[in-house]
Amino acid sequence: MSIDSHYAHPEALVTTAWVSEHLKDENLCLIESNEDILLYDMGHLPGAIHIDWQRDLQNQTIRDYIQPVDFAALCSRSGITPETTCVFYGDKSNWWSCYALWVFRLFGHEHVKIMDGGRDKWIAEGRPLSREVTQRAYSDYPVPPTRNDAEIRAFYDDALLQSRTALPLIDVRSPDEFKGLVTHMPEYPQEGVLRGGHIPGAHSVPWKQAVNKDSTFKSEAELRKIYQEDLGLSPDEKIIAYCRIGERSSHTWFVLNYLLGFQNVRNYDGSWTEWGNRVGAPIEKSL
Amino acid sequence: MPYPPKLESIISLFGGLSDPEKRETLISYAEQSCFQEPKPNEKFDLEDVRKDQECTDTVAVYLRVDEEGNAHFRVTLGPQVQTLTRSMSSILCKGLDGITPREVLEVPADFVPKVVGAELVRVRSQTVYYLLTRMKGVAKVWLQQQQRSGDPVTGDSSPE
Repeated sequence: MSIDSHYAHPEALVTTAWVSEHLKDENLCLIESNEDILLYDMGHLPGAIHIDWQRDLQNQTIRDYIQPVDFAALCSRSGITPETTCVFYGDKSNWWSCYALWVFRLFGHEHVKIMDGGRDKWIAEGRPLSREVTQRAYSDYPVPPTRNDAEIRAFYDDALLQSRTALPLIDVRSPDEFKGLVTHMPEYPQEGVLRGGHIPGAHSVPWKQAVNKDSTFKSEAELRKIYQEDLGLSPDEKIIAYCRIGERSSHTWFVLNYLLGFQNVRNYDGSWTEWGNRVGAPIEKSL
Repeated sequence: MPYPPKLESIISLFGGLSDPEKRETLISYAEQSCFQEPKPNEKFDLEDVRKDQECTDTVAVYLRVDEEGNAHFRVTLGPQVQTLTRSMSSILCKGLDGITPREVLEVPADFVPKVVGAELVRVRSQTVYYLLTRMKGVAKVWLQQQQRSGDPVTGDSSPE
């Protein structure tokens, strides 16, 4: 299967076959990001490094991301330069690889791609895994001047304004989470949310609608039908996507931004674990 | 309550390891999880096969209690179960082997961070506790059945 050339940025998506042919490219860094924290150690794509969404990308004290200096250090010890093409892949239909890619974009790293179908597809195709810990030569990644929160990241106040002004908010969680019937994801433990429901005015478009059974992304035409024809979004309007902690909404952010070419999409990473716990935050339920 | 001797020895083993060594050892336990599955023709006193809403895949817990009243667990895990939970299935099947079902109920869950390490115990990894809960659930049902039938093998007639 090849990448749909009609995507707005088809270069942001690569097939497992493409990755297989480029495993030894010097200017390419394969990055595995998973929810299962020991999965990389059980075997990974030959030459891939591991970026742990929690340990490597988040501030370890307050709920926030690392600072530019930390990002430069992470890239330097991972042998990544600003010119390196980072190809992200992982478990869970690429939730965490999209999340890691989104964080890389917060720091302005230009060359980023997702391996379509993620780790499961690579394995299903019988492609090789390695348990060798990848050592890449240290690079000297310059400290980015800033973290571009304003461009692709939304905060509580942004989401509240979006709700009050009836601009599009996309809730990508499961339908029962959206309705307020449950306060945890199906198949997951409770993550400490006190209230169920959704941000007033939000539209329910579960992330899963964007993928096929093998976790590859749907075609451009199928995605456009979901987000433009059925939901009525337009590529130039301000859109905010959210879930529980920002990983599933990173997936939708990737779809809207890279595959459909929407120009003003932000990921509200505080998501429901912030909104559903915040005193006085307005909540809508649709039982 | 002190840990069962076999579990205590596993906890001690982890206590002396550095974080990378802990990781390696957990992976080794995860790889052994397939050996904790029921053997052909093995008979059990209780089988609890289900997929709960808070777990990503089916987890089956099998309990056999021998003539001396000692418990022996087997566990089958679906392919989507996380690696850490796989590690825990090996650790628990080995660590709880040979204790009584009543002793299973008293095993404290506080050994988990000692084995897994603080870095790996996360909100999304809480299912490492899930397996112990399931095993205790099976042990409890077995004890209740014994009480109802008045079987003396439990050696205990205290109410549940």
